[in-house]
Order: sequence, then C-alpha cells, then structure tokens
Amino acid sequence: MTRYADMDQVAGDFYTNNFAKTAKESSLILNLGPQHPSTHGVLRVIVEMDGEYILRAEPVLGYLHRMHEKMAEVKTAAQFIPNMGRVDYGHALAWNWAFLGAVEKLAGIEVPERAEYVRTITCELNRIASHLLWWGAYLLDLGAFTPIMYAFDDREKVLDILQMPTGSRLTYSYYRIGGVALDLSEDCLRSIREFIPWMRSRLPMYKDLVSDNIILRKRIEGVGVIEPELCRRYGATGPVARGSGINYDVRRAEPYSVYPKVDFIVPTSELKDARGRYDVRMIEIEQSLRIIEQCVEQMPEGDILVKGAPKPSWKAPKGEAYFAVEGGRGKIGVYVASDGGKNIYRTKLRAPGYSNLSLFAEVSSGTILADAVAILGSLDLIIPEIDR
Amino acid sequence: MDALFQGLSLDYLAACDYAKTGKTWQVFLPASSLVKAAERLRVADWHLEDVLALDCAEGFVVTYHFAHFDKPGRVAIRVLAPHDAPNVPSISHVFDGALWHERETRDFHGVIFEGHPNLIPLLLDPDMADCFPLRKEPKSRAKTREMLEVGEVVYCRPSFTLMTPDAPAEGQESGGPAATA
Repeated sequence: MTRYADMDQVAGDFYTNNFAKTAKESSLILNLGPQHPSTHGVLRVIVEMDGEYILRAEPVLGYLHRMHEKMAEVKTAAQFIPNMGRVDYGHALAWNWAFLGAVEKLAGIEVPERAEYVRTITCELNRIASHLLWWGAYLLDLGAFTPIMYAFDDREKVLDILQMPTGSRLTYSYYRIGGVALDLSEDCLRSIREFIPWMRSRLPMYKDLVSDNIILRKRIEGVGVIEPELCRRYGATGPVARGSGINYDVRRAEPYSVYPKVDFIVPTSELKDARGRYDVRMIEIEQSLRIIEQCVEQMPEGDILVKGAPKPSWKAPKGEAYFAVEGGRGKIGVYVASDGGKNIYRTKLRAPGYSNLSLFAEVSSGTILADAVAILGSLDLIIPEIDR
Repeated sequence: MDALFQGLSLDYLAACDYAKTGKTWQVFLPASSLVKAAERLRVADWHLEDVLALDCAEGFVVTYHFAHFDKPGRVAIRVLAPHDAPNVPSISHVFDGALWHERETRDFHGVIFEGHPNLIPLLLDPDMADCFPLRKEPKSRAKTREMLEVGEVVYCRPSFTLMTPDAPAEGQESGGPAATA
C-alpha cells in the first residue's frame, strides 16, 4: 500500500488510511467487502497481507447501523417491539424475548405459564431456522453449493409453522409485554408434531452428505483455533464459546422461562476450531427438537397474555433491569433503565455477534486468506445484529 | 465480591437482587481504581459482557457488566464521568472485548477512554464523529438514584452521595459547560 500511497485510485477512505499507517513497506492492503459475498451482508474487513498470509485484519462496522438504541428512546416499550425483530433476522424471536424479558423484569410482570411454553416452542423453532440458515450459507462460502438447497427446504417448513401464530416469516414481533400475541392453533401444533420427526430424519442425511465429507473436513478441521482464554478476554459466547470447550449456555447458567423443566444437553466440543463450532450447532438442532417435543407435550391450557396486560401507552416504572437469553449466536442481553417517563430512558442491546466478531482480528492473523473466510463463516455472523 | 475488591479504593458496594434487576452486585468506583478492579475480575475469570453509558443529571454513569462462565451472577462496575470532562481510563488492555465496546460508547455519548489504542468511530460515520446521539438535553436528564437499584449496601464512602436521597449540588452539574454540547 505505502508504495502506491501517492496514487489517487488507491488513496483509501478514513479507515483504510488509519489502518495503513502502521503497515509494513512490503505488504499489501486488501479490502474485503462491504459487498463481498462471503461476508453475509455488509461487513467490511481490511486485511494486510504478505503473499497469501494475513498479517493483521480489522473489521469495519457500521454499514448497517440503524441506531436502535436511539429509537428506543423515542418510542414506548410496546412500540419498540417491532424493532427487535429487525436487529437479528436469523433469530428474531430471541431478541423479542430479551427485550420483553427486561421490561417484564423491570415492571415485575409474571408471564402466564402457557405463554412461557409458547415462547419456548417458537423461540426454539426459530433457533433451528437460524442454524439451518447458517449451515447453508457457511457451506456456500466454502464452495459447496447444493447444501443450501436442502437447508432452505427444511427452513421453509419452520417458517411455514412460525407464520401461523406470528403472521410473518422473518422479522417477527410476536411477543408482547406479559405474554404473546396469539395462541398456537391446533393446526399449528399438528404441524410442529409432524415437523419434529421429519427434521430428525434429515439430520443423518446432512451428516452423510456434508458433515463427514472429506472436502469439508479438510477445509475446516484445525482452522481458526480459539482458546477458551480468548473467549474470556473477548466475552465470546454461544456456539463460539461452546466450540472451544466452555460449557456455557444462558438457558442453563441463568435459567429463565420453562428451560429448567425440560431435559436437554448443552453440547460442547474440545476441538476449538471451526469444526468444533460446526459440530456444536448441528447437535443444537437436535437438542432444540428435543425441547420442542417436551414443551408440546407438557404445555398446559390457560391464558397467553397476563390479565391487565400493558397497553401501548403503558409507562414503565422507575428502575433498571438486565435480562439475558441464549440466542442462535450466543448471549443476547438487554439492559433497560427507566425514570418512569413515557419512553424507556436508556436501552442497551448486547449483541453476541459483536463480541464474537471482535476476536476475529486476533484469530485470523497468521492464517491464509481462504482460511480467514472459513473462520468468519464459522462465527455465524448476522451483520444487522452486530451494527444494530 | 467484597473479598475480590479488598484493599481497592471503592465508592459504593451493594448486593443486588438478581430476580429484580438481573444483577447480583453493583460497585461504584473512582476512575483511578477501575483498571485495578478490571484486572482482579480478569484473574477471577469473569468476562466482560458490555459497556454502556447512562446520561444522568450527575454525569455519565459508565457501566461495565461482567458475568462468569462457571458461576451465576452479574457484576455491574460503575464509574461516574462528569459532563464537562467525560474521561475514563480504558480497560481494553485487560479485556480485549472492551476495544469495540469503548469505541461504541465514545460514538454514542462522547465518553473518552484514555489509553485506548484506536479510539476511532466504530458504528457511526467518521464525518459525524462529534454528534453523540444518545446524549440527553440537560433538562430531560434523570437523577441516578431514581433509576439505579440501591441494593443492600455493604460499603459506602461517606462522601459518596450519588445513591442517597439527599444528594446535594446536582443542580449545578446540569448547567455545566458540556450541557450545551
């Protein structure tokens, strides 16, 4: 870069110039994105390269920044719910839940038991859709075109089910303060019961077709090793931490809703590489099916919305609350502080992908560029969630 | 938690009700002991969840949330940064995860993290680096004690008045030089 610094066409923008200040004389600076297909949206990464090897990398964020935290200041709590479906399109219901969990904690609202079950079922279905989206897109990154067709075929079934109670297919705003908007119909429950064995029958095929495939194995095994210590330093959670052998899942660590009542395991992998994270997500699909199966069996009759549920103009009482849920990418945390006014005074959204991506710079240095793409994909990035 | 911070200069330490606010401890520190506190949490294997600023009448309450992979609980470490000189030491050399969280807090509130290696805009456009969208109008700033949970106080420095109902002299703060920014 520095060799051509006086040429106009390579004089970069603010971030490139800032990055180039400390570049070596003989290295090449390369911009990945923000429109690069393997960055899943609008992530931009500036890398300094020596031949095929990455000397250092720096993600540049903000291309999809919408300032959700400011919108939270100018809307009432109920008006803000649709925003939460748009923070992370992969696992929108988990964000719904995190925000409403924080508001309910702040106001001391108890959610009826049936609503807790409905939330758990829909949230886990959404998690399966999220993992299938990651699986298809990740393999597409690695050059395998066909798997995304299978993944989207199955994901379609989940979306069809979720469409029945929520009315939407991607950006859900289904939960309400004190419950959910609509009960699961008999039709919907029947579809869920049919979906569970179907999805189970597909997983061995996924394994034979893709997980055991020698091309995939050579591409991801031993690539992007993340030590547990690194996860602690960066606050990485979710499948990234579990793929590094850390047994940490918010559903077990800070139990909420009906998770203490259902039986499921928290998969971990000692491999610590992209393969470990891959394995964890594949087992999580099975575990989500187990959770859904138990919830459908155990679900009691009753209300789906607490009596006297807050109206749209409802004011949150004074106080503060922090609520965390386990999303498809890790710990989603929402902090709310209210002074008793019309809108919530301050809402802070903790996105798991944000912390997970921040360790990329350290993990990718020293790897070849093709492996860096495999590492990026294995972190399961959803850019709107990172930029918020 | 009080054992973890033994010997550190603290302002306020209180046990909080997890069921009510989602955290177990709340600690107010003077800026000078923030890095030492972070180092102790680091050694005890806590991880940083997020960093946020809360624009209150008394100043920016910069809050660091910490959680643990092996045990339940959440610690909120808080530092008060005055509106006219919102400087807080960076903990990014202790917790690398703070690198981005601190840049984000600078974008939104204009809190300056001293010692941060690369405090450039992260989420906002570099051209609007000085607009600080989450700063409040001086008249709409709420008081700290109206929002934050008081908790079960273990220690409170006698001169620390932020969390006590009869806190004096906050009317002057909101008229400070930064209030017009």
